[in-house]
Amino acid sequence: MRVSDNLWAVEPVSYVATVIIISGLVIITMTYVVSGLLRRSPSPYNSGDELLSTWASLTQQYFELFQHDLGRPLRRILGKEREVRATIDLSNQALYGDVVELLDEIEGQAPNFRLMMSNVQVLIEMETPSEDLVLEPVEPLEIVRRIVDRYTFAAADGKKEITWWSDPDDFGIVYCGASAIEHIITNVVDNAVRFADKRIEIKLVREGTEFSIHVWDDGFGIPEEYRSHIFDRGWTPELAKREERTTSGLGMFIAKTLSQRYGGDLCIQSLVGDTAKHYTEFTLTLPIKEYVS
Amino acid sequence: MDGKTEHILVVDDEWESPIVGAVIRTLEQEGWKTSVIKPQLSADIGHDFEAETLYSIETIRPSGILLDVRLGEYREDQFKGLEILHKIVELYPTMPVLMFTQYTQGPERDTAVRSSLQLDSTVDFIDKLASPQEVILRLRRLIGRPPAYIVMGEKLILDVDASLVQIKQGEDLETVSDIQGMKFEILRELASTWYRSPGQLVPFSKLERYSDGEEARASLRVRIREIKNSLGNALGVKFGAGDFIINVRDQGYRLVPPKTFNNQ
Repeated sequence: MRVSDNLWAVEPVSYVATVIIISGLVIITMTYVVSGLLRRSPSPYNSGDELLSTWASLTQQYFELFQHDLGRPLRRILGKEREVRATIDLSNQALYGDVVELLDEIEGQAPNFRLMMSNVQVLIEMETPSEDLVLEPVEPLEIVRRIVDRYTFAAADGKKEITWWSDPDDFGIVYCGASAIEHIITNVVDNAVRFADKRIEIKLVREGTEFSIHVWDDGFGIPEEYRSHIFDRGWTPELAKREERTTSGLGMFIAKTLSQRYGGDLCIQSLVGDTAKHYTEFTLTLPIKEYVS
Repeated sequence: MDGKTEHILVVDDEWESPIVGAVIRTLEQEGWKTSVIKPQLSADIGHDFEAETLYSIETIRPSGILLDVRLGEYREDQFKGLEILHKIVELYPTMPVLMFTQYTQGPERDTAVRSSLQLDSTVDFIDKLASPQEVILRLRRLIGRPPAYIVMGEKLILDVDASLVQIKQGEDLETVSDIQGMKFEILRELASTWYRSPGQLVPFSKLERYSDGEEARASLRVRIREIKNSLGNALGVKFGAGDFIINVRDQGYRLVPPKTFNNQ
């Protein structure tokens, strides 16, 4: 009698039990593998992009959560400053000269702080792996008007004047990113107000398939050796002169990067020297895109 | 003189803070009336603000509202102002509302930028750290009514309704009689633009309709010189090419801000 004949003699229920055990082992193994895959997939440590995305999103959430509290100290300082300003005779230089200087410094640093904070936020956004850009109807003339509102009084404190106009007068709507345009032009105007001697001029031009915003100032100008660095991240003129930094050096880098992200560019022209003709002009050029619903 | 005094309703849980106080003070210096919502402190501060705001709009019918996005310290009150805004827009669609926001980027800021794109929109957003003068400018544009009077500097008053230019001499007002007709219209156009949007140039195309003859621009130049001479004589100053009304890059003219004008 052969061995196989002996095996067939085993109780049939043993075969059924063997099938059940093997099936159970397969199911357990499959469950373990699948659950492992599921556990791994949302992990932020899979790739650099995902890690960055999680970090950026978390940082943005913190900004949004605490933005009211982040602004509180500056609101209190500014409020007190404006209260004092309202109670003293600003024209009495002999008595209040130093106080007025301090009040002006506080008022002057407020936009600087605001811009620096929003620059940090935009920088986080820019470094986050992003989806496609969303184009929206934008009225650049209104954006420029509001930026001029913001800087007119700060400029006037420094005996500087901002003039602006649009060609054509009725500029109309373009499809772009409202926040991006506002952010680029705010940085450029902030820079112009800082370095202008007396005058800042802003001109909007709509021509063919593109539009441009020119920001001109009559400041001393930017030497050629600095011009190639002006859009570098973290670079400021003080850095080159070994002086105390007054800005973060992020603004122009962000402005240039944002303009290129929207298919345009930010360029600089400048004339330096003792001649009365010295100037600096930044030109933002962006395409007038068609609306796609 | 202030027959059309604007009345602004202020809705902000920090109404006693110096920063909001500075805005209220500047609004009142502008000659505007202010009413501040001050609900009794209760467990549901957001709801109290909403109820009192809607009641006040109905009873005082303000010219405009200054409304904080965040009312109260609780997380659910973080955007309570936006909820109140939706109700205001629903009930009073033409009511000008200026929303106070924080200074940072993010969804709230993006909403702010997008919502204030159109010139004729009655809702706009402004950074809470903005200067009180900036708040005034935004409110002027939102309210949109041409003012009855435009005060330029300490002494010069443009009476828009009566088409007169007046000079303050102590307590008295003296009319500058030779600024009338086209010359008054040119000055009104320049002053109105400055009032709503300082720094904005008035292009030749807008001003040339107030001149005549084949050489419209030359005629305009002569009229502007005459305006400067007349007002200079009345004020006892001599306006140069860079004073009061300035030709910018052969594009148009603009009025010099009164602060500079005061220093003449």
